[in-house]
Amino acid sequence: MPVFEPAIIGLGMTEMSVKPGGTAQELASRALAAAVRDAGLALSDIDGLLVGSSQGVRPDRLGVSLARRGGLGDLALLEHVEMKGVTTAAMIQNAVLAVRAGLARAVACVFGDAPLRPGGSAGATYAHSGGNEGVRGLERVSGVLGSVPTYALAAARFLEVTGGSEEDLCAVALSGRSWATGNPHAVMRDPLTREEYFAARMVAEPLRVLDCARPVNGAVAVIVGDPAVPAGAHPPVHVRGMAQHHPVRRRRSPHESWFEPAGGGTADALDRALAMAGRRRDDLDAIQLYDPFSIVALSLLETYGFCGRGQAGALVRSGATAPGGSLPMNTGGGQLSGYYLQGMTPLAEAIVQLRGHGGGRQVTDASTVLVTGIGGRGDHHAFLVLDREPL
Amino acid sequence: MTEPDWLATDALAPSTAGALAPLYTAAAEGRLALPFCGACGSVLELEQDVCDSCEAAAVEWRDVEPAGTVHSVTRVHRREPSLIRTDSPYHVLDVQLASGHRLVLGTTRPTGRTIRIGDPVRIGFRTVGGIQLPAADPD
Repeated sequence: MPVFEPAIIGLGMTEMSVKPGGTAQELASRALAAAVRDAGLALSDIDGLLVGSSQGVRPDRLGVSLARRGGLGDLALLEHVEMKGVTTAAMIQNAVLAVRAGLARAVACVFGDAPLRPGGSAGATYAHSGGNEGVRGLERVSGVLGSVPTYALAAARFLEVTGGSEEDLCAVALSGRSWATGNPHAVMRDPLTREEYFAARMVAEPLRVLDCARPVNGAVAVIVGDPAVPAGAHPPVHVRGMAQHHPVRRRRSPHESWFEPAGGGTADALDRALAMAGRRRDDLDAIQLYDPFSIVALSLLETYGFCGRGQAGALVRSGATAPGGSLPMNTGGGQLSGYYLQGMTPLAEAIVQLRGHGGGRQVTDASTVLVTGIGGRGDHHAFLVLDREPL
Repeated sequence: MTEPDWLATDALAPSTAGALAPLYTAAAEGRLALPFCGACGSVLELEQDVCDSCEAAAVEWRDVEPAGTVHSVTRVHRREPSLIRTDSPYHVLDVQLASGHRLVLGTTRPTGRTIRIGDPVRIGFRTVGGIQLPAADPD
């Protein structure tokens, strides 16, 4: 088999809509076609498809039937990947490994979601998801509808233990928005002030609506394939490092239920990904974190070892993560101000930055970018170290 | 005909089958029962089948003291109309029980009191759709 080192050679995105319209299937088909065109390929060149869908029971959730609906031909690789919030990073990892192994030559990784429906908000969709069984059933009847109350418990605990405050959450929201103003795909692009943040509607204390991801109907597709194929349309993005970490944290005394203590192993996994990439933390020109809630970005900065325990709030308040700072974070506005397409949000932004297509939000000379995924309330972590240069 | 619960509509009544069946059986009798390892006595999580200390698959539900402290707490402002009955923000607590278990629970009745991490808490019960389930007593 002709084995080559694969790279990310195509990116396709639909409009990120805050209004109902389009099923996840239709949106995914559109993103898939756009990504294939972007790579300078035809649908018939794609011989692998990895599909990720939102969790929960939704009648139109994506699955392997996307191959048929999206107009693909015969495939050598097909999988519906389900790893909660690390699904996208895992799809890229699986695609890279599959191409390296010679199982396929051009693999499309697709995620789409459509939580906004006629007559109902995304919040209503999430509130009605989850079922009545097991622990989740007990949580839901206790008032834990959707994921905001869960992350509100995480936020309350994290701020209590680390001595942080709502000002830290505000700083994350403001940092993200300052990037989003330069991102045409972001759904929240107006400049945001501290006063506006604190005036925003409370969802579950201490999380306001601006601490929560912006649900959209949309899809993103990424092509992993031969970097020699495209006719110079876009520079390939090389996947130099990757790692996963799935810590089993026990929700019982004396452990923390809601965040990882120092030495929990996730920072080591990031170090492994960086070592594989031949890069150091200092080499990262931007970090694209999976940030469904402000509290998640805040706690991940500590979990990943970008600062010490209790230091994340000060780090973000210093402006380090905002435009012009030393640690550009979520440079498209992330999931808070950009759009919530789970792991595709950080991945798509990393590709845009490494292609130099960031326009008003471009990080100067971005050449090494970290992409992360987190799922299951911190039970799952995945990393990609993406680079303009091959290893 | 049971009184409606103050917080949740009957649509949220939990399934009493499955891994948590012993919890609901005990709750129906006003007891709080939680899982331990039958071999070494370790505290287990609610849906844990195998002990992470001794690796035995011998889950044993035992009555525990219905008391603990607040590990975390939030007041939820968003109220989904067909699922939540109260018209005011309500509390959700992550309770650290004296037994070592943690349970995310609502409260037995509404309260305007400020609940803080570290506060002592007693466990009582609510009834939703005829199903008894544990809840934190806010007072």
